[in-house]
Amino acid sequence: MSAVRRGPLPGDTIARKFCNAVRLRESRVALRQKEFGIWQEVTWREFGEHVRRIAMGLAAHGFQPGDVASILANTRREWTYCDYGILCAGGVSSGVYPTDAAGQLEYLCSDSGSSFLFVEDDEQLDKALQVRERLPRLRQIVVFDMEGLTGFEDPQVTSLERFEAAGAEYDRMHPGEFERRVDSRGADDLAILVYTSGTTGRAKGAMLSHRNLRCVMENFPPEVEQSEGDDKMAFLPLCHIAERMIGQFLSLETGSRLNYVENPETVAENVREIAPTIMLAVPRIWEKFYSAISIRIKEATRLEQWAYKAAIGLGYRVADLRFAGRPVPPGLALVNRVASFFALGNVRRAIGVHRTRLALTGAAPISPELIRWYCALGVDMYEGWGMTETSGGGSLNLPFARRLGSIGKAAPFNEMRISADGEILVRGDNVFMGYLNQPEKTREAIDADGWLHTGDVGVVDDDGFFRITDRMKDIIITAGGKNVTPSELENELKFSPYITDAVVVGDKRPYLTCLIMIDHENVENYAQERSVPFSDFASLCRSHEVQELIQGEIDRVNAKFARVEQIKRFRLLEYKLTAEDEELTPTMKLKRKLVNEKYRDLIEGMYSQTA
Amino acid sequence: MSDDVILRLANIESNYGPVQAIRGVSLEVRKGAIVTVLGANGAGKTTILKTISGIIDPHKGQVWFDGEEISRHDPDWVVRRGISHVPEGREVFPLLTVRENLLMGAYIRRDRDQVRGDIERMYGYFPILKEREGQEAGQLSGGQQQMLAIARALMARPKLLLLDEPSLGLAPKLVKEIFEIIKRVNAEEGTTMLLVEQNARIALTTAHFGYVLEVGRIVMEDSCDRLLQKEDIKEFYLGMKADNVRGERRWKKKKQWR
Repeated sequence: MSAVRRGPLPGDTIARKFCNAVRLRESRVALRQKEFGIWQEVTWREFGEHVRRIAMGLAAHGFQPGDVASILANTRREWTYCDYGILCAGGVSSGVYPTDAAGQLEYLCSDSGSSFLFVEDDEQLDKALQVRERLPRLRQIVVFDMEGLTGFEDPQVTSLERFEAAGAEYDRMHPGEFERRVDSRGADDLAILVYTSGTTGRAKGAMLSHRNLRCVMENFPPEVEQSEGDDKMAFLPLCHIAERMIGQFLSLETGSRLNYVENPETVAENVREIAPTIMLAVPRIWEKFYSAISIRIKEATRLEQWAYKAAIGLGYRVADLRFAGRPVPPGLALVNRVASFFALGNVRRAIGVHRTRLALTGAAPISPELIRWYCALGVDMYEGWGMTETSGGGSLNLPFARRLGSIGKAAPFNEMRISADGEILVRGDNVFMGYLNQPEKTREAIDADGWLHTGDVGVVDDDGFFRITDRMKDIIITAGGKNVTPSELENELKFSPYITDAVVVGDKRPYLTCLIMIDHENVENYAQERSVPFSDFASLCRSHEVQELIQGEIDRVNAKFARVEQIKRFRLLEYKLTAEDEELTPTMKLKRKLVNEKYRDLIEGMYSQTA
Repeated sequence: MSDDVILRLANIESNYGPVQAIRGVSLEVRKGAIVTVLGANGAGKTTILKTISGIIDPHKGQVWFDGEEISRHDPDWVVRRGISHVPEGREVFPLLTVRENLLMGAYIRRDRDQVRGDIERMYGYFPILKEREGQEAGQLSGGQQQMLAIARALMARPKLLLLDEPSLGLAPKLVKEIFEIIKRVNAEEGTTMLLVEQNARIALTTAHFGYVLEVGRIVMEDSCDRLLQKEDIKEFYLGMKADNVRGERRWKKKKQWR
């Protein structure tokens, strides 16, 4: 499928772009969402009507251009309706993670000065009601799903349905108001606020202007182009810049269809139903798919195992040649295609990536082995890098310019270089306006020459490929004076189907140790298969065999590193952590700093005993 | 594994045809204790008891009782080893009298004199059964039938009593009464008990130790005192919801089992 964009979607703000997209695409399908088990399509026209009514609903309730509204919901189409509705009303849109607690919601609403809050359902509404007394600027709460709220009356709360109806009415009474609102903002005005997950201290609201967003939208590398024929799956939190930009905003720019998952737990089933042609996911998701397959291969018949092994072996040979930039001999290419068709087709279908021509990974470090595996499987995977402060864009590997283990070359829309102390710097129109209400933090981030200091330490090779070694503040210096980049070890560990996440510890310590979060399902099955008795999660973690299993995984990883970089001891986290827990970021990564503090005793235990 | 463990299940998996009811359960019961297994409908509680008493053979795993493996044996063999099962829904013999039902419970015993004494002891625990001694069991009320079923099981002088939802369909007052007697039997006779219940409050206040079963796997184990303090137990098994600002709540918290 070749898809060359005919030039950017006209419009210098997101709102104008949206109106143009509705006009140009009319009856084409914009997005899909499941209702009572059936995928329902929404055309651009219908999409546009929702957005217009929401924008007018805001206007009817006294929302002014420049005002801020927040959205607290899982990834679903109403999130996107409201996002564009707020922007079309001339406002600023700010996302709140659905897993955030009431206290966090209060902080985000008051820091952003939100006057309107859109919430998903009664569960999210309860958070808002708990803290609304302390939010004097909050005027109205709008609820998407009123199930369980039929008897609930509150002057400050309304349903999205009623809100849209009020908007339609207002629209009729005030012709031209919508257009006036859309035109009220310019390219350099603030468009959205994206709060960074705040692994250190309180969350910071990154301000992104229309120009920032447009920079990435309009100049996304054409080699990995999306088009109206593409299906994407929207499932990562929309308040995170990755899904917002690569999913939502690029769909606006290019017309690719967005398919919303039912809820965060149904991703594995939904991906098979949607069979996306382009898929962006975080490493954790790619790791999960891989673990599921490797477990299934272990349980398969001998013949199936043999076929898989032979076919993936050929796939690796082809993938490695491609990575080396060398031609693939026609004979090998043919055998690979045949083997891939017969033996790997089912594996791709089992995951749901059988139509995927482009798999993107980003937002966290990934093991190069995993990218190699996907490429061998026949799913072209490219690692990219970006952050909230660069509007989600930064660098990307491309079909004819990629290097395993690198984050690719700088995207055409921004410059990148390495500072004297090894930090990656970025400059371009995609670099954000600054942190809301925190001018000092902004000055720390963007220097006088306009370079953004990313906090990532990296290197660049002669061909311009960047490689990230670690977060600046994460680098461990052991008591012996050795510099260790924990993420290298951690990524290798996470490659194990039995390990979900790991945090390597060892700053100012004699040796390295590690806290490990096991993959509940896979370890449980491992234990049950081997008749290891266990009852709850903690007893599973404590069982001798599981400890041995993880020790084995650590030994495997240790073998790849020098002695001083090896992990000497480890502990398993005996609680099953969920996204609501403070230890995890909304993208389910362990927060290094918090884990280091919270599990201090566990960590001290690894250093107190003498071997 | 300490010596006073009388019953031990290791990695039990049991199926009904293609449907897997328990997916790997390991648990222990100490001698003289009352241990409870909590769980919703279909969690696999009854299947565990049936697997212990030999009504179902496990697909995988072992059941150890009093030092020997008892899985994959016939139920009558298991009964002779000292395990009595009080089935869900009582299952008394409706056309036999109360006394005859009790004698059926002592079927495996040859010590007639003592059997007679035991019947009197049962009447001591359940005086109403003495009053109804000659009546057909089918004419008893539900609560009386439950008492009879328990007494009948005790007539085999079991080392371990399996109780499957003794509170089923009974008025709260009767439930309290029956559980008082269960406690007394445990204290006075030293009979070990494995109790399966939906009524979590009564089960947790009666038993010493508890397991929580969810879709065929154990998600939590602890002493009952501590289980009663757990947030998830309060929310999902005791129906105690923290009040919220609206005064009502439909959505459920995520279970975390910790």
